Amino acid sequence: MLEGFTRKFKPLEVLTEEQVSAIHVGALDVLETTGLRVEHDRSLALLADHGCKVDLRQKRVRIPGPLVEDCMRKCPSTFTIRARDPKYDLRIGGNTLYFSQNVGMRYVDLDTWETRPGTLQEHADAVKVLDALDTVHMLCAYEFYMDMENVSPYMMPIEGLASGIRNSVKAQCMGYPHDSEVFAIKMAKAVGMELRGAINTAPPLTIYEDCGNAAFRFVEAGFPLFVGGAPLFGGTGPATIAGSVVINLAETMALLVLVQLIKSGTGVFTGGLPLPMDMRSGHAAFGAVSSALHQVMWHQIWRRYQIPSCSMHTGYSGSKKIDFQAGYERAMNALVSALAGDNICFFHGAIHGELTYHPVMSILDDDVAGWIGRFIEGVDVTPETLAVDLIEQVGPIPGQYLNTEHTRKWWRREQFIPKTADREPYSEWIRKGKKDAIALAKKRMEEILSTHKSKPVTTEQDKAIGEVLEEARSYYRQKGLI
Amino acid sequence: MSAREVLESLRVAVKEYDSEAAASCAKRAVSEKINPVEAANAITSAIKEIGDAFGRGELWLPDLVGAAAAMQSAMSIIEAEIVRQGAAKKSLGTVVLGTVHGDIHDIGKTMVSTMLTAGGFTVYDIGVNVIVEEFLRAVKEHKPDILAMSALLTTTAAEQRKIIQALRQNGMRDKVKIMVGGGAITEEFARAIGADGYDATALGAVGLAKRLIGIE
Repeated sequence: MLEGFTRKFKPLEVLTEEQVSAIHVGALDVLETTGLRVEHDRSLALLADHGCKVDLRQKRVRIPGPLVEDCMRKCPSTFTIRARDPKYDLRIGGNTLYFSQNVGMRYVDLDTWETRPGTLQEHADAVKVLDALDTVHMLCAYEFYMDMENVSPYMMPIEGLASGIRNSVKAQCMGYPHDSEVFAIKMAKAVGMELRGAINTAPPLTIYEDCGNAAFRFVEAGFPLFVGGAPLFGGTGPATIAGSVVINLAETMALLVLVQLIKSGTGVFTGGLPLPMDMRSGHAAFGAVSSALHQVMWHQIWRRYQIPSCSMHTGYSGSKKIDFQAGYERAMNALVSALAGDNICFFHGAIHGELTYHPVMSILDDDVAGWIGRFIEGVDVTPETLAVDLIEQVGPIPGQYLNTEHTRKWWRREQFIPKTADREPYSEWIRKGKKDAIALAKKRMEEILSTHKSKPVTTEQDKAIGEVLEEARSYYRQKGLI
Repeated sequence: MSAREVLESLRVAVKEYDSEAAASCAKRAVSEKINPVEAANAITSAIKEIGDAFGRGELWLPDLVGAAAAMQSAMSIIEAEIVRQGAAKKSLGTVVLGTVHGDIHDIGKTMVSTMLTAGGFTVYDIGVNVIVEEFLRAVKEHKPDILAMSALLTTTAAEQRKIIQALRQNGMRDKVKIMVGGGAITEEFARAIGADGYDATALGAVGLAKRLIGIE
């Protein structure tokens, strides 16, 4: 089991108890009064069977509050996700913070900052880097380089997962583009691991058929799930942050009801991609402070329900480069979420929005995640750490602390040592060619790619993965998609 | 109220995002027998002012969309009157616009629709998740100068290629210029599928449309 980071102090909260209750009541009100459009017959039937008001002609479902609260009580407060190697299993929930990589559709050139499709080799290398980084606890390998040279976009999610499983022992996520979850579930079972499935609403207040299918498929496979939506404040959700939380909460609760009705006790964690709309371009505004506020509220609310929650907006910046803006927007959002009690922070590797991904960024993010993780672990306050006796022993100058048993014992625990960041004295920095963060991260990437060896899949597992890929290929071929 | 005052209040209603007032001014223009082409011009001049202010960065999307809704509510009444009288409305050209099958993203398409209308085009917005046959039907019906398609996802971008192929197979490709856009689309992709033009922004789409029909 991977330990991740443990938050050892009270989480950051911005809402009063009364405000949390008002948001809760608001979301229940939306579900009972407005309801959702559900374009999935099997879900409609299941929801109707359990007391929801279902208008089959309009495909509109109104969910009574008591059913929502009952289903929320059925969600476990903690659950595991099994990785390919049991040493990398995850225990989601409580005060634990894990990090996962985030996504980017295309590869970005670090000199020109122009994008192009990724290649399978670049995908495999990026996965190897993630496998080597201690602060990456889970991968969404299916979700980066979706635009892949010589690979059909229909095959890319399952090709991405195959590359993820073959090149990393860590836990993996899966979504549901074009039925790919059917093949993903087979692939995971063939290598004896679970996947963290995902189901998303289409805001505002809509559940499409593919989401309904994926809910049944993941839950029936026995896999835990991410549930959530992605309201664009002022676009697909209200412009107010409180309103965007209400609608995101209502949509997430609806998915959670569906999941618990399919199989009570299924592990879920909640989240979404809460982003304000940029009112000039209509695009999502990445890296925004409104997202940070939404997410602090989100974690506070779900902590009250004792259901784990995650942050997905944390890896995205509006910047097109690895630069100051990318650094502050991403790190501040990730830090704030972590302080507020985030359980899984989707972070490493993504650069501009959902457009670009680069392993060099994931290496720089290893330092950011390590910094945040160290921060939330807090400080021990004991007679030994207070060191009053030691201070008495060392006394004033010429006393010093470097050559003491206490320093040898404690400094490594207390400090966080970044693996890439520049800490050289100025003269050394000049002598070594004035290298910047990107150059240092590139060097580390080269070292990882030439030395890191992940536990390989067995020959049988490799064959099974290949067979599932072939099955997927013939499925999409038959549908005339490739 | 004089004809001039009615037209001015129509313009003000659009500029103040007031759909109800815009519709009631339009009805008044019809009942007072004001030339409907002049009324349409008043509406278009108001939305052009809004579009220009958006282009200068003085107004924002909620302003643009609010004015577009007010424009639509008035324009539907005025257009019905134009048709009834058999008059002709001034337009730079006609555009059929939709988001392709499998893709439900609406906002970007609506922005392009609004900006094109503000730019002087007549736009037929055929909605989201539009199948190939529906695009063909709309092109046959409206005989547009330009067909504009939106796709946000990498998997739905391929639908644009299908539509262009279908136009070719039906001997309709040469009769219409094609412009494409959306999150998943690049210049390089647009060229590869045989589109005539691509732009990344709604504002840019207007210039592109003008170039495609040879007015800029």
